[in-house]
Amino acid sequence: MTDLTVHFAGITMKNPVMSASGTFGSGVEYASVFDVSRMGALVTKGLTKEPTAGNKPPRICETPAGLLNAVGLQNPGVEVFIRELLPGMLEFGVPVIANIAGRTKDDFVFMAERFSNTGVAGLELNISCPNVKTGGMALGTVPDVAAGVVKAVVQGTDLPVIVKLTPNVTDIRELAAAVADAGADALSLINTLVGMVIDVDERKPVLDNCVGGLSGPAIRPVGVRAVWEVSQAVDLPVIGMGGIANGTDALEYIMAGASAVAVGSAFFHDPLAAVKIIDQIDEYCTEQGVDKLQDLVGAAWKGNNGRR
Amino acid sequence: MNKNNGVENVKSPGEFTCRVSEQLSLAPDYYLLSLEAPELARAASPGEFAMLRCGEGYDNFLRRPMSIHQVDRSKGQVDILYQVRGKGTNWLSKRASGDLLPLLGPLGHGYTCSGPAGKGLLIGAGVGVAPLLFLASELAARQWKLVILMGARSKAGILRPDAYMEYGEVKTATEDGSVGMQGTILDLAANELENSTFDMIFSCGSLPVLRGVQELSRQKGIPAELSLDERMACGVGACVGCVCQGADGSYLKVCQDGPVFSAGEVILND
Repeated sequence: MTDLTVHFAGITMKNPVMSASGTFGSGVEYASVFDVSRMGALVTKGLTKEPTAGNKPPRICETPAGLLNAVGLQNPGVEVFIRELLPGMLEFGVPVIANIAGRTKDDFVFMAERFSNTGVAGLELNISCPNVKTGGMALGTVPDVAAGVVKAVVQGTDLPVIVKLTPNVTDIRELAAAVADAGADALSLINTLVGMVIDVDERKPVLDNCVGGLSGPAIRPVGVRAVWEVSQAVDLPVIGMGGIANGTDALEYIMAGASAVAVGSAFFHDPLAAVKIIDQIDEYCTEQGVDKLQDLVGAAWKGNNGRR
Repeated sequence: MNKNNGVENVKSPGEFTCRVSEQLSLAPDYYLLSLEAPELARAASPGEFAMLRCGEGYDNFLRRPMSIHQVDRSKGQVDILYQVRGKGTNWLSKRASGDLLPLLGPLGHGYTCSGPAGKGLLIGAGVGVAPLLFLASELAARQWKLVILMGARSKAGILRPDAYMEYGEVKTATEDGSVGMQGTILDLAANELENSTFDMIFSCGSLPVLRGVQELSRQKGIPAELSLDERMACGVGACVGCVCQGADGSYLKVCQDGPVFSAGEVILND
């Protein structure tokens, strides 16, 4: 029996597999499809202070080994979420992490405070959404600005603060270092890559928003590289995500330096992806004689490749 | 399991790997796919759909939403009637008897069949007739009197009219006049509503057709239900990728609030 437990930033997960924000609703949608309580943790859809209508459709477009989305953070707002959706999510008995997406620093601070004593295990700051006109990625591409948001949130909350970073920057290590200095407890890498698809019959972009965030197996090598770079440069636990669709993919991220991983677009390809990934990680560890999964974190760059 | 954690109106879909029992080409680009899917056959209601894997590996990464054409609960069989529109449906059309196909279902909010029996007008344009066979069988079993309108560009696009005749009176329209009335499905519907009265309209088709049905419903004061077709990612209401505009201006999830909406509930933009 391999020990798959993950402890990071004060959060304990029985295995390293979480849901990625925005791909798993509030978990209830999948409750009849598989045993959601098997997940290591659940991450909410990106939440805003006020209800957000989201972008005009079309919002999604399939791409080679992935998809583009420009949902635009449609959500009922933090109050309705806490009242109507969070209780059902908590009932799965696994840590719930609230993904909050402010338009301004003050929005972030407000929502972080609002989540105190609600039962959530932590906050994921979404300063990396590519699909909104204010906030989102605009707050997450300049190190000083990102650090300012993180600093303000950390001061106002006791909850662990995970910062989700965008890969749409020249050097993701600079951002990671800035938010680490500002007091972040952990990092989520990566949000989607900005992309576009054009319909050649219509001679215009497929998405009404023109651009969207690319996710799915197509972006996995970009995410693995980001985790590799950041986990060696910054002394914070990292949650790796971007195109994870099977156990091998998850292990790549872990060996690149991720303490935990999140599954997102893979749910659309195979709703059972997350539980299969948990089982496949376990099988790999058993076959390889790994006692503790955490021994593999960063194995690809650590001395002796994580072997004892 | 079926644990809804206190949230109401949550469906209980399941993930199944189904064996293809048969696939027939009905006309160029139109296929009838029969699957061994006993759980789906048992649980599905008219107007609901399933998300079908439509490619190998990560090709055609997203599943395709397919409405349920007919179920045979005693044989545990589900039929899907579809049109090849791109790479995914093209791949699907190559599946043969014995092949395995993962699918998630049943999904969505279907047609209302539970009300008192009456006289129903079913309007299906092109491959939009797909969910109407299951609906017609269910309504006929509940003593509804049905007129079923089928429309297409030409005769080849009038799909399985004989199957529909079991459950009501079938009338057809083709734009080239090769069978039935010469004209569009909306011309045929307008004629029918000129001459007869109905308690309810049930429809499925392209946006222009659904907009036309919405208008006829308003003019005649007959309630209508419309089934929308939209690209989806999750199919279960989790990703909010497939939305349409609600009458109050908010976005409704086609996969979860629909795909069947009452005519007054949605604004059908291009």
